[in-house]
Amino acid sequence: MSKVYVGMSGGVDSSLTAALLVEAGHDVTGVYMKNWTQDLPGMRCPWADDLADAKRVAVHLGIDFKVFDFEQEYKQKVVDYMIGEYRLGRTPNPDIMCNQEIKFKLFLETALEDGAEYVATGHYARTKNGQLLLAEDSNKDQTYFLYRVTKQALEKTLFPLGDFTKPKVREMAEERGLITAAKKDSVGICFVGQVGMREFLSNYVDTVPGDIIDRSNGKVLGRHDGAIFYTLGQRHGLDVGGGLPYYVVGKDMDSNEVYVSTDLNDKSLWQNTINLNSIHWIDTLYEGECLIRVRHRAPLIKAVIRDSILYLDEAERAVTPGQSVVIYKENHCLGGGIVQ
Amino acid sequence: MSDRIYYLDHAAATPVDAQVLAAMQPYYSDNFFNPSSPYAPAVAVRRDYEMAKSKLASTIGAKADEIVITAGATESINLAFSSAVSHVVVSAIEHDGVLAAARRINYDKAKPTHKGIIEPATVASLITPETDLVSVQLANNEIGTIQPIRDIVSVVEAERARRKEAGETRPIYMHCDGSQGFGQIDVNIARLGVDMLTLNSGKMYGPKQVGLLWVKPGVKIVPVIIGGGQERGLRSGTENVAGVIGFAAAAEKAYTHRKSESERLQNLRDRMQQDLIKNFDDLIVSGHPKKRLPGSLHISLPGIDGERLVFSLETEGVLVATGSACAANKGTRSHVLTAIGMTDAEADGSLRITLGRLSDDESLKTATSIIIQHIQREKERVGRA
Repeated sequence: MSKVYVGMSGGVDSSLTAALLVEAGHDVTGVYMKNWTQDLPGMRCPWADDLADAKRVAVHLGIDFKVFDFEQEYKQKVVDYMIGEYRLGRTPNPDIMCNQEIKFKLFLETALEDGAEYVATGHYARTKNGQLLLAEDSNKDQTYFLYRVTKQALEKTLFPLGDFTKPKVREMAEERGLITAAKKDSVGICFVGQVGMREFLSNYVDTVPGDIIDRSNGKVLGRHDGAIFYTLGQRHGLDVGGGLPYYVVGKDMDSNEVYVSTDLNDKSLWQNTINLNSIHWIDTLYEGECLIRVRHRAPLIKAVIRDSILYLDEAERAVTPGQSVVIYKENHCLGGGIVQ
Repeated sequence: MSDRIYYLDHAAATPVDAQVLAAMQPYYSDNFFNPSSPYAPAVAVRRDYEMAKSKLASTIGAKADEIVITAGATESINLAFSSAVSHVVVSAIEHDGVLAAARRINYDKAKPTHKGIIEPATVASLITPETDLVSVQLANNEIGTIQPIRDIVSVVEAERARRKEAGETRPIYMHCDGSQGFGQIDVNIARLGVDMLTLNSGKMYGPKQVGLLWVKPGVKIVPVIIGGGQERGLRSGTENVAGVIGFAAAAEKAYTHRKSESERLQNLRDRMQQDLIKNFDDLIVSGHPKKRLPGSLHISLPGIDGERLVFSLETEGVLVATGSACAANKGTRSHVLTAIGMTDAEADGSLRITLGRLSDDESLKTATSIIIQHIQREKERVGRA
């Protein structure tokens, strides 16, 4: 029996995580991490219901419940990072940053200080001696979001859901009468909420309209309302109208131009090599043959890593600057890096 | 989860009475006509609607053409506040509907005593020559304290007399939010002496989203919702016929049974209060011991988390409210509890229990023993930590 602090978000995954740990005989404390949210005046704050659900499940399980207020740190480490990356024309992944800085650093440290021996979350992943392994449910596997967590943190972390599929998790939650059993999965980035990324960003970044240019002939096709809003491979929301769909194939932040093409095979959309920045290895540096994943839930594809450069067997589409590429060997997640 | 429900939150919502529902039903189907239509069946509906309004008005001693039907109490309050432009005085323990409406105007809040009473002298001290509206609730929704409305009206009347004497022309009105208490205490416009009164169907076993504003003849209000000119132009929109039929039936029933119901509730409440006090020496009962709604019982146990209790009681079907949503979060404590001078620990450890028609002797005995058990369990849990 260990003293385990479970991050409870009010969703079905973390609810069942807490229930399973209680059943396993652990001394469990539920913790809601209060992250930063944008307050919209006159509206019911969006996280209050989630917090109430998390607490309700904790009370029903008969366990202690705490709220860790990480608002300030979350704003600095996750929100400001995200805005900064967009400002530079990249497409960041704030969930990865949240796991690195908040859940598996700040939460872990705070829990350990508070007397916990382990922390647990409802992520679909597995750990073994500080190594990160793919989840049983390959469709739900969340190791993509966890590759920047340290070995030391993983040694103190339990992922009880790693052995189950999502439908099984719902079924088990239902069997236990957890009130969150049928709750909808959250989608998107929590703090951006219902307003959408475009509106969210426009509150923080001054944007200037600019030209949308057809790369094949240099013709100006229309206007955009800020290059930061566009990401490589994007098809919708271009408003250039008529004929074949256009795809974003590049942008120039300095000249504030967005380049598009109707050619799905435009060479800037497809890459055989990927340069990685700020690589993180969970255990030790690895070079050689590997499997990679270029976005959450994307299939694992073959590559070779050498000197921070990935050489792909087959070209991959829309590998976007700012996004992460995660590196695997068999079912081990070794680490990864951020696309240059 | 429990199959049996012990509903102890009548201040939040009441079930629609079976007779009320039966009275409403035809107006959703056979008698669906728009009361403004010219043909005979629609005219009949118009007549039924007017009749219902008369009955409704008579339960508070008013006339049909003095009430404006609204979609609930919040709208009624908003309409009442349309009479104010320069300064309002409200009690600090008003419902959010009143506080939010007051915030739009220049306002002052009258602080209650520790028992939750708004002293007329406190209101008097806040009235200025600019004040055009005073709004104090009939009874508090959290601690149940009944306000000395008549005496507060005297203060308003004194100011009115002073202005007349001084030749000042600004009117001053007294509004009362009577959402809580109808069916438990006397609610009569002449005896209250107010200029405007809000009532809420959803709190008296009628349908939700139906309410009224009684407006004394001569009081000037400005419509909030404009359009087809219904309700004498004060509230446009096709009449909610079924809702008003239900509201009237509910009000009549509550009015008729008031004395016996209030005595019954008081007996049940007092016994529950005694049982709880017997079991816990540190239990605090809030609100005025006597001037309190008969079905209202507000308790606090410092050191206990009221929200945890709510969640644990619900597993056995006991449904109660608390004055604090998630104690660990600042800013969510009840403004009422803060205003009567409660410490944070007292407010966080509070439960609001409000009895009503769903409470009977047997169910209340069971609910009380469940509540005692769960409080004991929480106390043990806190003691361990």
